[in-house]
Amino acid sequence: MARRNKPRPPVERVGDQFVINLGTDERELVSRLLGELRDLLLGATDQPLLRRMFPPAYHLADDADADAEYQRLMHDDLVASRLAAISGVLAVLGNADATRRVDEEGLIALMQALNALRLVLGTLLDVSEEDHPDDIDDDDPLVGEYHLYGYLSYLLDEAVDALTG
Amino acid sequence: MPVAPSPVEVDLPAHGDSTSPDHPWIVLVWNDPINLMSYVTFVFQKLFGYSIEKATELMLDVHHKGRAVVSSGAREKAEIDVFRLHEAGLWATMQQDI
Repeated sequence: MARRNKPRPPVERVGDQFVINLGTDERELVSRLLGELRDLLLGATDQPLLRRMFPPAYHLADDADADAEYQRLMHDDLVASRLAAISGVLAVLGNADATRRVDEEGLIALMQALNALRLVLGTLLDVSEEDHPDDIDDDDPLVGEYHLYGYLSYLLDEAVDALTG
Repeated sequence: MPVAPSPVEVDLPAHGDSTSPDHPWIVLVWNDPINLMSYVTFVFQKLFGYSIEKATELMLDVHHKGRAVVSSGAREKAEIDVFRLHEAGLWATMQQDI
């Protein structure tokens, strides 16, 4: 009798831990993207691609001074928090040990890092709520980025599922 | 009909003086096309301890109305909330609730 192999979800809860079930190719892909994001974060702070990662805190025109102060005090902390999440995730993904497990804090770092990648890609692609992954033409110069964006969205959704489902 | 007297013009103080400690600050999350509904709901639960029902309701408010007030309080607390929402990648801002 044949056994039907159900594909394992990419993130699976085991007790109070979470197993990251990604193949070698997927781990290398996500690690490479996170490395690029780290380089981006360590570069100039005013890059348009990073816009969505550092929104204003005070949106009223009257509060412009307060916002400048917030950015001055908090921008570096926000960068440091992102870099810490990226480092943690890279360590887990690069773990040669086949059991790549994280606790809840580690999974939240993974979610934060995946979403930071989505913010950059989504900004690059200028996505709108009407966009659908199937709408993209195969000959679009950004077709690869669209597929990456869709893949990262899937991973993040699975991570949320594993944590809250 | 009697004519109402003209309102007395007062010089409003500069912004820095007008922020009254009596008025709480509100933290808003704005709709954006990138963040996933499932993830936004999770972030509201995690950061504010909201039930799944309350977090979902707020997420849907953001989605349908364009924004929602997710927390309020003293300015320092609001700034921390905004920072944590920014860490998560959400588009959050704050303003004084006057």
